[in-house]
Amino acid sequence: MKIENIKKEFPIFDEKIQNNDLVYLDSANSSQKPKVVADRINEFYTKQFSNVGRSVHYLAVAATNLYENTRSSVQKYINAKDKNEIVFTKGATEALNLVANILGQNYLNEGDEILITELEHHSNYVPWHFLRKSKNIKINFAEMNEDGEVTLEEIEKKITPKTKVIAITHLSNVTGAILPIKEITDLAHSKGILVVIDGCQGAPHLKLNMQDLDCDFYAISCHKMYGPTGLGVLYGKKKWLEELPPYQGGGGMISEVKKDSISYGELPNKYEAGTMATAQVIAFDESIKFMENIGIENIMKHEADLVEYGQELLQKNNSVKLIGSPKNKGGVLSFTLKGVHPHDIATILDEDGVAIRAGHHCCQILHDKLNIPASARASVGIYNTKDDLDKLNDSINNCKKIFNLK
Amino acid sequence: MNLKELYQEIILEHGKNPRNLGKTDDFNKDAKGNNPLCGDNVHVYLKLNGQKIVEDISFEGSGCAISMASASIMTDLIKGKNENEAKEIVEDFLQMIKENPELKSEYLQDDEKTKLMCLSGVKQYPMRVKCATLSWHTLVSAFENKKEEVKTEN
Ligand SMILES: Cc1ncc(COP(=O)(O)O)c(C=O)c1O
Repeated sequence: MKIENIKKEFPIFDEKIQNNDLVYLDSANSSQKPKVVADRINEFYTKQFSNVGRSVHYLAVAATNLYENTRSSVQKYINAKDKNEIVFTKGATEALNLVANILGQNYLNEGDEILITELEHHSNYVPWHFLRKSKNIKINFAEMNEDGEVTLEEIEKKITPKTKVIAITHLSNVTGAILPIKEITDLAHSKGILVVIDGCQGAPHLKLNMQDLDCDFYAISCHKMYGPTGLGVLYGKKKWLEELPPYQGGGGMISEVKKDSISYGELPNKYEAGTMATAQVIAFDESIKFMENIGIENIMKHEADLVEYGQELLQKNNSVKLIGSPKNKGGVLSFTLKGVHPHDIATILDEDGVAIRAGHHCCQILHDKLNIPASARASVGIYNTKDDLDKLNDSINNCKKIFNLK
Repeated sequence: MNLKELYQEIILEHGKNPRNLGKTDDFNKDAKGNNPLCGDNVHVYLKLNGQKIVEDISFEGSGCAISMASASIMTDLIKGKNENEAKEIVEDFLQMIKENPELKSEYLQDDEKTKLMCLSGVKQYPMRVKCATLSWHTLVSAFENKKEEVKTEN
């Protein structure tokens, strides 16, 4: 599959959105879905549906196999050592809550410290914040520098003898900074610290290799990977998933239930209580195949070209101020426009069919640091083209005209 | 009116040159409002006389063009009205932004209605309705002299 004409694999681009061709620059929020993924959901519901894991009839067994196939595909895609290191969740948010919860139950002690960064999405801060209350855990913040990065040196500076966990984003959803997670993991492990990575923005855009990276946990959001909503993946080292206690209780995750004792199931069931997002898991296999067909190297090259092009365009545009200029940058272009509120920018761009996001992007700590309430953000995916970025720039110019900016 | 026209109109009219911006010298009632989603915030100051007539009204704040223009237009309209009239106008405005096709209040002149109808363009953007209504909710709160901030999130 050639990336140049990938747009036609996504039916939404055949639609007129309020009479406009869609210029979709909000993939960091959620990506559009290729036809194969949407079709797979429909096919499963109309031709193959059954719940998984519980019954012995034909459809149940077939559905269970399909469900487990996706687990194997994810394992291969991220090069995890063991299939049981892949846990399905309802999203990256649940994956991060799961990790914080089980570490809180049985790993962290009062007075321990967790190191996060000022770049973190609320999903990688609030779950740890719960432990402040319940366990008297302290949270430290590694600071973002002027380029919108968090460096290895900064992490090293903020590690104390009490640091037990480092929880960091792979790629900032605001500045686009790609963090040196391999180096950070090596450093952390040399000091006996666990590493949890929020890979929401990493997984759709970067090559992943869990065995090489060696982090302890890695959270993935499937709806940002051209996959269904309501689904996330938690990668966790087998050792931890075996040792740590379950997160939610219910059907599917138990081994034996008596009035006075309960034993829990083996991996991966232990962390998948209740009826899971079956159709979504099965359809996610198509997302992975789709990305594999294009090739992650091609995706990375395509998106790097786009970011470079977009960055240059916006840098040349007076009045536009880009947020962060990290040396290693993913496909996120956040900006402000002098004197114009980001929500006004987004609303005006929308009239031209240019879909971006405005707000704090669930990163209030970062925006407070920059002393702004919000920013506008254009983010790219595999289907975007330089033409989309030209339209973004044209539409920003329309906005400037309305506000009498030069 | 489409959104571009709306922006053109309100920016030229009120965004560049907001009415009643600042803090009324001898206000006797006030309230604050905040829209955490956008970071819009507004502080409304009222001077009510013995007959409960709004002798003076002003606002301070920062935020998007829609929230600032809405506050500017509101303060212009409310000055000189009594408390009951003002509250009825607020209710009329909120109904219009939500669902009513037009404004009904007998306390509004035709030209005032036209000005307010400029803001009806936000109807199609539920996220932006909160920007347009923030100062109006805050005005009601100021009449009550409420101490806690109005939040548009609920
Ligand atoms: C960096 C980051 N972390 C976490 C999340 C939450 O992911 P999910 O929507 O899968 O819960 C997002 C998505 O908004 C994100 O961008």
